[in-house]
Amino acid sequence: MSKSNITAAGHTLWGKMPKANTELFALTYGSLVTELIKDYDNDIDEINKQLDRIGYSIGVRCIDELLSKCEVNGVDIGPCNSFQNTAEVVAKIGFRCFLGMTCDVTNVTENSFSLFLYENPLSIFVELPESGGGGLNDDDGGVDDFGAAAGGSGGIKRLEWSKLKYSNIYCGVIRGALEQVNMKVSCNFARDVLRGDDVNEIKVELKEMLAEGAGEEYQDE
Amino acid sequence: AVGTPTHVSEPAFEFLLHAMIEQVEIQCLREYNKKMKMMKDRSSNDSDNNKDAQPGEKKGEGKGEDQNQEDDTKEKEEEVDEKDKQFEQELLKEEEHKQQILMNENIAAKMERMGFDVGFRLVERLAQSKSLVPPTAHTQTPSQTLLQLEAVKFICKEFWTEVFRKQIDKLQTNHRGVFVLKDGSFKWLERMPSNIEVARAMAIKILALPCGLIRGALSNLGIAAVVSCDFMDDGEKMNSCSFNVKIK
Repeated sequence: MSKSNITAAGHTLWGKMPKANTELFALTYGSLVTELIKDYDNDIDEINKQLDRIGYSIGVRCIDELLSKCEVNGVDIGPCNSFQNTAEVVAKIGFRCFLGMTCDVTNVTENSFSLFLYENPLSIFVELPESGGGGLNDDDGGVDDFGAAAGGSGGIKRLEWSKLKYSNIYCGVIRGALEQVNMKVSCNFARDVLRGDDVNEIKVELKEMLAEGAGEEYQDE
Repeated sequence: AVGTPTHVSEPAFEFLLHAMIEQVEIQCLREYNKKMKMMKDRSSNDSDNNKDAQPGEKKGEGKGEDQNQEDDTKEKEEEVDEKDKQFEQELLKEEEHKQQILMNENIAAKMERMGFDVGFRLVERLAQSKSLVPPTAHTQTPSQTLLQLEAVKFICKEFWTEVFRKQIDKLQTNHRGVFVLKDGSFKWLERMPSNIEVARAMAIKILALPCGLIRGALSNLGIAAVVSCDFMDDGEKMNSCSFNVKIK
Protein backbone atom coordinates (compact mmCIF):
# COMPACT_ATOMS: atom_id res chain seq x y z
CA MET A 1 0.00 0.00 0.00
CA SER A 2 1.32 3.41 -0.87
CA LYS A 3 1.96 6.08 1.71
CA SER A 4 -0.94 8.21 0.62
CA ASN A 5 -3.29 5.26 0.58
CA ILE A 6 -2.23 4.38 4.07
CA THR A 7 -2.93 7.88 5.28
CA ALA A 8 -6.30 7.91 3.55
CA ALA A 9 -7.19 4.55 5.08
CA GLY A 10 -6.32 5.90 8.49
CA HIS A 11 -8.64 8.88 8.07
CA THR A 12 -11.46 6.68 6.83
CA LEU A 13 -11.21 4.25 9.70
CA TRP A 14 -11.00 7.07 12.21
CA GLY A 15 -14.18 8.50 10.78
CA LYS A 16 -15.98 5.21 11.26
CA MET A 17 -14.89 4.59 14.82
CA PRO A 18 -17.39 5.29 17.59
CA LYS A 19 -15.86 7.98 19.74
CA ALA A 20 -15.13 8.55 23.41
CA ASN A 21 -14.28 11.70 25.28
CA THR A 22 -10.53 12.43 25.33
CA GLU A 23 -10.58 14.03 28.75
CA LEU A 24 -12.28 10.98 30.23
CA PHE A 25 -9.61 8.86 28.56
CA ALA A 26 -6.79 10.99 29.90
CA LEU A 27 -8.17 11.08 33.44
CA THR A 28 -8.79 7.33 33.48
CA TYR A 29 -5.22 6.68 32.38
CA GLY A 30 -4.01 9.09 35.02
CA SER A 31 -5.79 7.18 37.73
CA LEU A 32 -4.31 3.93 36.39
CA VAL A 33 -0.80 5.35 36.62
CA THR A 34 -1.54 6.66 40.10
CA GLU A 35 -2.68 3.20 41.18
CA LEU A 36 0.49 1.67 39.78
CA ILE A 37 2.61 4.12 41.69
CA LYS A 38 0.85 3.09 44.89
CA ASP A 39 0.85 -0.63 44.08
CA TYR A 40 4.54 -0.75 43.26
CA ASP A 41 5.56 1.56 46.00
CA ASN A 42 7.06 4.37 43.93
CA ASP A 43 9.46 2.00 42.15
CA ILE A 44 9.70 3.90 38.88
CA ASP A 45 11.53 1.25 36.86
CA GLU A 46 8.95 -1.33 37.86
CA ILE A 47 6.13 1.05 36.98
CA ASN A 48 7.57 1.62 33.52
CA LYS A 49 7.73 -2.14 33.08
CA GLN A 50 4.14 -2.58 34.22
CA LEU A 51 2.92 0.09 31.82
CA ASP A 52 4.67 -1.76 29.03
CA ARG A 53 3.11 -5.04 30.11
CA ILE A 54 -0.36 -3.55 30.26
CA GLY A 55 0.16 -2.01 26.83
CA TYR A 56 1.25 -5.37 25.49
CA SER A 57 -2.03 -7.07 26.30
CA ILE A 58 -3.93 -4.15 24.80
CA GLY A 59 -1.79 -4.25 21.65
CA VAL A 60 -2.58 -7.89 21.11
CA ARG A 61 -6.29 -7.04 21.08
CA CYS A 62 -5.81 -3.99 18.90
CA ILE A 63 -4.81 -5.99 15.86
CA ASP A 64 -8.02 -8.01 15.88
CA GLU A 65 -10.04 -4.86 16.37
CA LEU A 66 -8.22 -3.11 13.52
CA LEU A 67 -8.60 -5.97 11.10
CA SER A 68 -12.27 -6.38 11.85
CA LYS A 69 -12.89 -2.65 11.38
CA CYS A 70 -11.06 -2.85 8.06
CA GLU A 71 -13.23 -5.70 6.93
CA VAL A 72 -16.45 -3.98 7.94
CA ASN A 73 -15.47 -0.80 6.15
CA GLY A 74 -13.97 -2.33 3.06
CA VAL A 75 -10.48 -1.10 3.76
CA ASP A 76 -7.73 -3.42 2.64
CA ILE A 77 -4.43 -2.87 4.38
CA GLY A 78 -2.81 -5.98 3.03
CA PRO A 79 0.42 -7.51 4.30
CA CYS A 80 3.28 -5.06 4.72
CA ASN A 81 6.13 -5.49 2.25
CA SER A 82 8.80 -3.73 4.30
CA PHE A 83 9.48 -2.57 7.80
CA GLN A 84 9.02 0.99 6.57
CA ASN A 85 5.60 -0.02 5.37
CA THR A 86 4.84 -1.45 8.80
CA ALA A 87 5.97 1.78 10.37
CA GLU A 88 3.62 3.81 8.19
CA VAL A 89 0.70 1.56 9.07
CA VAL A 90 1.40 1.85 12.79
CA ALA A 91 1.65 5.62 12.57
CA LYS A 92 -0.98 6.53 10.01
CA ILE A 93 -3.54 3.84 10.67
CA GLY A 94 -2.96 2.47 14.15
CA PHE A 95 -2.45 5.66 16.08
CA ARG A 96 -4.86 7.54 13.83
CA CYS A 97 -7.90 5.34 14.02
CA PHE A 98 -7.60 4.39 17.69
CA LEU A 99 -6.53 7.69 19.12
CA GLY A 100 -7.15 10.27 16.42
CA MET A 101 -3.47 11.15 16.58
CA THR A 102 -1.23 12.44 13.83
CA CYS A 103 2.15 10.77 13.91
CA ASP A 104 5.21 10.81 11.69
CA VAL A 105 7.69 8.11 10.86
CA THR A 106 11.34 9.17 10.78
CA ASN A 107 14.85 7.71 10.97
CA VAL A 108 13.87 4.68 8.97
CA THR A 109 16.41 1.93 8.48
CA GLU A 110 15.98 -1.66 7.43
CA ASN A 111 15.06 -2.72 10.93
CA SER A 112 14.26 0.32 12.94
CA PHE A 113 12.24 3.51 12.88
CA SER A 114 11.22 6.38 15.08
CA LEU A 115 7.69 7.49 15.70
CA PHE A 116 7.09 11.15 16.44
CA LEU A 117 3.90 11.85 18.35
CA TYR A 118 2.94 15.49 18.28
CA GLU A 119 -0.05 15.59 20.55
CA ASN A 120 -0.54 13.00 23.22
CA PRO A 121 -4.06 12.55 24.55
CA LEU A 122 -2.78 10.63 27.57
CA SER A 123 -0.85 13.51 28.99
CA ILE A 124 -3.11 16.50 28.45
CA PHE A 125 -3.53 17.18 32.15
CA VAL A 126 -0.16 15.96 33.34
CA GLU A 127 2.87 17.60 34.79
CA LEU A 128 5.64 15.51 36.27
CA PRO A 129 6.74 16.59 39.73
CA GLU A 130 10.23 17.92 40.35
CA SER A 131 12.74 15.13 40.78
CA GLY A 132 13.92 14.53 44.28
CA GLY A 133 10.55 15.35 45.76
CA GLY A 134 8.30 13.05 47.72
CA GLY A 135 6.43 10.07 46.35
CA LEU A 136 2.74 9.39 46.44
CA ASN A 137 1.78 7.75 49.68
CA ASP A 138 -1.28 5.84 50.72
CA ASP A 139 -2.83 8.40 52.96
CA ASP A 140 -3.38 10.92 50.21
CA GLY A 141 -7.10 10.71 50.42
CA GLY A 142 -9.32 11.84 47.57
CA VAL A 143 -7.94 14.07 44.89
CA ASP A 144 -4.23 14.27 44.28
CA ASP A 145 -2.45 15.10 41.07
CA PHE A 146 1.16 14.77 40.13
CA GLY A 147 1.77 18.46 40.68
CA ALA A 148 0.75 18.15 44.31
CA ALA A 149 3.06 15.21 44.91
CA ALA A 150 6.12 17.38 44.49
CA GLY A 151 5.52 19.18 47.74
CA GLY A 152 3.62 16.29 49.28
CA SER A 153 3.85 14.96 52.78
CA GLY A 154 5.57 11.65 53.49
CA GLY A 155 7.66 10.18 50.68
CA ILE A 156 11.00 9.52 52.27
CA LYS A 157 12.43 8.35 48.97
CA ARG A 158 14.04 10.87 46.69
CA LEU A 159 12.34 10.11 43.44
CA GLU A 160 13.58 10.61 39.94
CA TRP A 161 10.25 11.46 38.39
CA SER A 162 12.01 12.27 35.15
CA LYS A 163 12.63 8.56 34.78
CA LEU A 164 8.90 7.88 34.64
CA LYS A 165 7.85 7.04 31.11
CA TYR A 166 4.33 8.27 31.58
CA SER A 167 3.07 7.11 28.20
CA ASN A 168 5.06 3.90 28.15
CA ILE A 169 1.84 2.04 27.52
CA TYR A 170 2.25 2.96 23.83
CA CYS A 171 5.47 0.97 23.67
CA GLY A 172 3.71 -2.09 24.99
CA VAL A 173 0.83 -1.63 22.55
CA ILE A 174 3.19 -1.46 19.56
CA ARG A 175 5.15 -4.46 20.82
CA GLY A 176 1.99 -6.53 21.40
CA ALA A 177 0.37 -5.60 18.11
CA LEU A 178 3.45 -6.27 15.98
CA GLU A 179 4.03 -9.59 17.67
CA GLN A 180 0.60 -10.66 16.42
CA VAL A 181 1.91 -10.17 12.90
CA ASN A 182 5.06 -12.10 13.63
CA MET A 183 7.45 -9.26 14.29
CA LYS A 184 9.35 -9.23 17.53
CA VAL A 185 10.28 -5.65 18.29
CA SER A 186 11.67 -3.67 21.14
CA CYS A 187 10.23 -0.24 21.82
CA ASN A 188 11.61 2.58 23.82
CA PHE A 189 10.10 5.91 24.76
CA ALA A 190 13.19 7.91 23.89
CA ARG A 191 11.98 11.48 24.18
CA ASP A 192 9.03 12.80 26.14
CA VAL A 193 7.48 16.23 26.11
CA LEU A 194 6.58 15.71 29.77
CA ARG A 195 10.27 15.51 30.59
CA GLY A 196 11.10 18.69 28.72
CA ASP A 197 11.94 17.36 25.27
CA ASP A 198 10.31 19.07 22.33
CA VAL A 199 8.67 16.02 20.86
CA ASN A 200 7.50 12.58 21.91
CA GLU A 201 9.66 9.97 20.23
CA ILE A 202 9.26 6.22 20.31
CA LYS A 203 12.12 4.16 18.89
CA VAL A 204 11.13 0.81 17.47
CA GLU A 205 13.69 -1.85 16.62
CA LEU A 206 12.99 -5.09 14.83
CA LYS A 207 14.57 -7.94 16.78
CA GLU A 208 13.43 -10.91 14.77
CA MET A 209 10.76 -12.25 12.51
CA LEU A 210 8.85 -14.93 14.29
CA ALA A 211 7.45 -17.39 11.78
CA GLU A 212 8.36 -18.74 8.37
CA GLY A 213 5.28 -17.25 6.78
CA ALA A 214 6.35 -13.77 7.71
CA GLY A 215 9.67 -14.24 5.98
CA GLU A 216 7.97 -14.31 2.60
CA GLU A 217 6.43 -10.93 3.25
CA TYR A 218 9.88 -9.55 3.66
CA GLN A 219 11.36 -10.66 0.38
CA ASP A 220 12.62 -7.65 -1.48
CA GLU A 221 10.44 -6.83 -4.42
CA ALA B 1 0.33 22.78 13.78
CA VAL B 2 -2.11 20.13 14.88
CA GLY B 3 -4.32 20.43 17.93
CA THR B 4 -4.95 17.63 20.41
CA PRO B 5 -7.81 15.52 19.13
CA THR B 6 -11.04 16.08 21.05
CA HIS B 7 -11.92 12.42 20.93
CA VAL B 8 -10.36 9.01 20.99
CA SER B 9 -11.97 5.86 19.70
CA GLU B 10 -14.35 3.97 21.93
CA PRO B 11 -12.40 0.71 21.63
CA ALA B 12 -9.31 2.51 22.90
CA PHE B 13 -11.18 3.63 25.97
CA GLU B 14 -12.69 0.21 26.58
CA PHE B 15 -9.28 -1.46 26.30
CA LEU B 16 -7.99 0.98 28.88
CA LEU B 17 -10.96 0.34 31.15
CA HIS B 18 -10.40 -3.40 31.11
CA ALA B 19 -6.69 -2.95 31.64
CA MET B 20 -7.54 -0.94 34.73
CA ILE B 21 -9.84 -3.63 36.09
CA GLU B 22 -7.20 -6.28 35.44
CA GLN B 23 -4.58 -4.24 37.25
CA VAL B 24 -6.80 -3.75 40.29
CA GLU B 25 -7.54 -7.48 40.38
CA ILE B 26 -3.87 -8.37 40.12
CA GLN B 27 -2.97 -6.05 42.96
CA CYS B 28 -5.76 -7.27 45.24
CA LEU B 29 -4.80 -10.87 44.48
CA ARG B 30 -1.22 -10.10 45.45
CA GLU B 31 -2.39 -8.67 48.76
CA TYR B 32 -4.65 -11.66 49.36
CA ASN B 33 -1.83 -14.12 48.68
CA LYS B 34 0.45 -12.24 51.01
CA LYS B 35 -2.12 -12.37 53.77
CA MET B 36 -2.84 -16.05 53.30
CA LYS B 37 0.85 -16.87 53.30
CA MET B 38 1.36 -14.95 56.51
CA MET B 39 -1.52 -16.78 58.14
CA LYS B 40 -0.34 -20.19 57.01
CA ASP B 41 3.18 -19.46 58.23
CA ARG B 42 1.87 -18.25 61.55
CA SER B 43 -0.34 -21.28 62.09
CA SER B 44 2.40 -23.76 61.19
CA ASN B 45 4.75 -22.00 63.60
CA ASP B 46 2.12 -22.25 66.32
CA SER B 47 1.56 -25.96 65.82
CA ASP B 48 5.32 -26.56 65.85
CA ASN B 49 5.56 -24.77 69.17
CA ASN B 50 2.73 -26.86 70.59
CA LYS B 51 4.39 -30.08 69.51
CA ASP B 52 7.60 -29.06 71.27
CA ALA B 53 5.76 -28.35 74.50
CA GLN B 54 3.90 -31.63 74.72
CA PRO B 55 6.67 -34.26 74.78
CA GLY B 56 8.43 -32.34 77.52
CA GLU B 57 5.33 -32.32 79.66
CA LYS B 58 4.51 -35.91 79.00
CA LYS B 59 8.01 -36.92 79.88
CA GLY B 60 7.65 -35.44 83.30
CA GLU B 61 4.32 -37.16 83.84
CA GLY B 62 5.45 -40.43 82.36
CA LYS B 63 8.22 -40.95 84.88
CA GLY B 64 7.34 -43.78 87.15
CA GLU B 65 4.06 -44.68 85.43
CA ASP B 66 3.04 -47.90 83.75
CA GLN B 67 4.19 -48.59 80.18
CA ASN B 68 0.55 -49.08 79.16
CA GLN B 69 -0.44 -45.72 80.41
CA GLU B 70 2.41 -44.18 78.43
CA ASP B 71 1.17 -45.92 75.28
CA ASP B 72 -2.37 -44.69 75.87
CA THR B 73 -1.08 -41.21 76.40
CA LYS B 74 0.88 -41.38 73.16
CA GLU B 75 -2.23 -42.50 71.24
CA LYS B 76 -4.22 -39.69 72.77
CA GLU B 77 -1.47 -37.26 71.80
CA GLU B 78 -1.73 -38.39 68.20
CA GLU B 79 -5.51 -38.12 68.25
CA VAL B 80 -5.30 -34.65 69.69
CA ASP B 81 -2.70 -33.71 67.09
CA GLU B 82 -4.96 -34.97 64.33
CA LYS B 83 -7.93 -33.09 65.70
CA ASP B 84 -5.81 -29.95 66.09
CA LYS B 85 -4.69 -30.24 62.50
CA GLN B 86 -8.23 -30.73 61.24
CA PHE B 87 -9.45 -27.84 63.31
CA GLU B 88 -6.68 -25.65 61.97
CA GLN B 89 -7.45 -26.66 58.41
CA GLU B 90 -11.04 -25.68 58.90
CA LEU B 91 -10.07 -22.40 60.46
CA LEU B 92 -7.77 -21.72 57.55
CA LYS B 93 -10.48 -22.52 55.05
CA GLU B 94 -12.85 -20.20 56.82
CA GLU B 95 -10.22 -17.52 56.86
CA GLU B 96 -9.48 -18.08 53.17
CA HIS B 97 -13.14 -17.66 52.37
CA LYS B 98 -13.34 -14.51 54.45
CA GLN B 99 -10.26 -13.09 52.80
CA GLN B 100 -11.62 -13.84 49.36
CA ILE B 101 -14.75 -11.89 50.11
CA LEU B 102 -12.59 -9.10 51.46
CA MET B 103 -10.50 -9.22 48.32
CA ASN B 104 -13.53 -8.75 46.10
CA GLU B 105 -14.68 -5.91 48.30
CA ASN B 106 -11.24 -4.36 47.98
CA ILE B 107 -11.42 -4.59 44.22
CA ALA B 108 -14.78 -2.84 44.16
CA ALA B 109 -13.56 -0.23 46.64
CA LYS B 110 -10.49 0.57 44.54
CA MET B 111 -12.56 0.84 41.40
CA GLU B 112 -14.97 3.17 43.18
CA ARG B 113 -12.14 5.35 44.40
CA MET B 114 -10.63 5.62 40.94
CA GLY B 115 -14.06 6.49 39.59
CA PHE B 116 -14.29 9.19 42.22
CA ASP B 117 -11.00 10.77 41.16
CA VAL B 118 -11.99 10.73 37.50
CA GLY B 119 -15.53 12.00 38.09
CA PHE B 120 -14.32 14.76 40.36
CA ARG B 121 -11.93 16.14 37.76
CA LEU B 122 -14.09 15.48 34.74
CA VAL B 123 -17.11 17.35 36.06
CA GLU B 124 -14.93 20.41 36.56
CA ARG B 125 -14.05 20.38 32.87
CA LEU B 126 -17.61 19.74 31.76
CA ALA B 127 -19.32 22.23 34.03
CA GLN B 128 -17.00 25.13 33.31
CA SER B 129 -19.30 27.23 31.29
CA LYS B 130 -22.54 26.10 32.81
CA SER B 131 -24.42 27.58 35.68
CA LEU B 132 -26.37 25.03 37.62
CA VAL B 133 -29.40 27.16 38.21
CA PRO B 134 -31.35 28.28 35.14
CA PRO B 135 -30.89 32.02 34.62
CA THR B 136 -34.61 32.70 34.41
CA ALA B 137 -35.22 31.62 37.97
CA HIS B 138 -35.42 33.24 41.30
CA THR B 139 -35.15 36.54 42.90
CA GLN B 140 -34.35 34.64 46.06
CA THR B 141 -31.46 32.25 46.66
CA PRO B 142 -32.26 28.80 45.32
CA SER B 143 -32.88 26.16 47.96
CA GLN B 144 -30.56 23.30 48.75
CA THR B 145 -33.10 20.93 47.29
CA LEU B 146 -33.18 22.80 44.00
CA LEU B 147 -29.41 22.94 43.77
CA GLN B 148 -29.17 19.23 44.46
CA LEU B 149 -31.75 18.51 41.81
CA GLU B 150 -29.96 20.66 39.27
CA ALA B 151 -26.66 18.97 40.04
CA VAL B 152 -28.12 15.51 39.65
CA LYS B 153 -29.85 16.52 36.44
CA PHE B 154 -26.54 17.78 35.12
CA ILE B 155 -25.04 14.41 35.85
CA CYS B 156 -27.93 12.61 34.19
CA LYS B 157 -27.70 14.67 31.04
CA GLU B 158 -24.46 16.43 30.17
CA PHE B 159 -22.12 14.36 32.31
CA TRP B 160 -23.61 10.99 31.38
CA THR B 161 -23.60 12.00 27.70
CA GLU B 162 -19.93 12.89 27.72
CA VAL B 163 -19.00 9.65 29.39
CA PHE B 164 -21.49 7.19 27.89
CA ARG B 165 -22.76 9.02 24.80
CA LYS B 166 -26.29 8.79 26.06
CA GLN B 167 -28.33 10.25 28.89
CA ILE B 168 -29.70 8.53 31.95
CA ASP B 169 -32.97 6.96 30.92
CA LYS B 170 -35.00 7.75 34.00
CA LEU B 171 -34.50 9.88 37.09
CA GLN B 172 -36.56 9.47 40.21
CA THR B 173 -36.41 11.35 43.49
CA ASN B 174 -38.25 11.65 46.73
CA HIS B 175 -37.31 15.33 46.93
CA ARG B 176 -35.65 14.58 50.23
CA GLY B 177 -32.14 13.79 49.14
CA VAL B 178 -32.62 10.37 47.54
CA PHE B 179 -32.28 9.94 43.78
CA VAL B 180 -32.45 6.89 41.55
CA LEU B 181 -30.76 7.06 38.16
CA LYS B 182 -31.74 4.31 35.75
CA ASP B 183 -29.76 3.28 32.72
CA GLY B 184 -31.47 0.61 30.68
CA SER B 185 -28.51 -0.10 28.43
CA PHE B 186 -25.40 0.64 30.41
CA LYS B 187 -22.61 0.97 27.91
CA TRP B 188 -19.76 -0.80 29.63
CA LEU B 189 -21.84 -3.91 30.22
CA GLU B 190 -23.23 -4.15 26.73
CA ARG B 191 -21.29 -7.23 25.80
CA MET B 192 -21.77 -9.09 29.07
CA PRO B 193 -23.64 -12.38 28.96
CA SER B 194 -26.32 -12.51 31.63
CA ASN B 195 -27.02 -15.35 34.02
CA ILE B 196 -23.43 -16.44 34.34
CA GLU B 197 -21.98 -16.14 37.81
CA VAL B 198 -18.54 -15.00 36.67
CA ALA B 199 -19.99 -12.36 34.37
CA ARG B 200 -22.15 -11.10 37.19
CA ALA B 201 -19.15 -10.81 39.52
CA MET B 202 -17.27 -8.89 36.82
CA ALA B 203 -20.26 -6.65 36.21
CA ILE B 204 -20.35 -5.70 39.87
CA LYS B 205 -16.70 -4.70 39.74
CA ILE B 206 -17.24 -2.65 36.60
CA LEU B 207 -20.27 -0.92 38.12
CA ALA B 208 -18.19 0.30 41.04
CA LEU B 209 -16.60 2.74 38.58
CA PRO B 210 -19.69 4.70 37.59
CA CYS B 211 -20.75 4.78 41.24
CA GLY B 212 -17.47 6.52 41.94
CA LEU B 213 -17.89 8.76 38.90
CA ILE B 214 -21.24 9.99 40.21
CA ARG B 215 -19.96 10.44 43.76
CA GLY B 216 -16.88 12.31 42.53
CA ALA B 217 -18.87 14.53 40.20
CA LEU B 218 -21.35 15.42 42.94
CA SER B 219 -18.53 16.06 45.35
CA ASN B 220 -16.96 18.66 43.09
CA LEU B 221 -20.37 20.22 42.65
CA GLY B 222 -20.42 20.67 46.41
CA ILE B 223 -22.64 17.74 47.29
CA ALA B 224 -21.55 14.87 49.52
CA ALA B 225 -23.39 11.67 48.79
CA VAL B 226 -23.28 7.90 48.95
CA VAL B 227 -23.79 6.02 45.71
CA SER B 228 -24.65 2.37 45.23
CA CYS B 229 -26.10 0.38 42.39
CA ASP B 230 -28.46 -2.44 41.61
CA PHE B 231 -29.29 -4.54 38.63
CA MET B 232 -32.77 -3.95 37.35
CA ASP B 233 -35.05 -6.67 36.01
CA ASP B 234 -33.75 -9.27 38.45
CA GLY B 235 -30.44 -9.52 36.65
CA GLU B 236 -32.03 -10.81 33.45
CA LYS B 237 -30.54 -8.12 31.30
CA MET B 238 -27.03 -7.64 32.54
CA ASN B 239 -26.70 -4.07 31.37
CA SER B 240 -29.82 -2.65 32.92
CA CYS B 241 -28.95 -1.02 36.19
CA SER B 242 -29.89 1.71 38.60
CA PHE B 243 -27.68 4.00 40.62
CA ASN B 244 -28.94 5.03 44.03
CA VAL B 245 -27.76 8.37 45.29
CA LYS B 246 -28.25 9.34 48.88
CA ILE B 247 -27.26 12.87 49.79
CA LYS B 248 -25.51 13.02 53.13
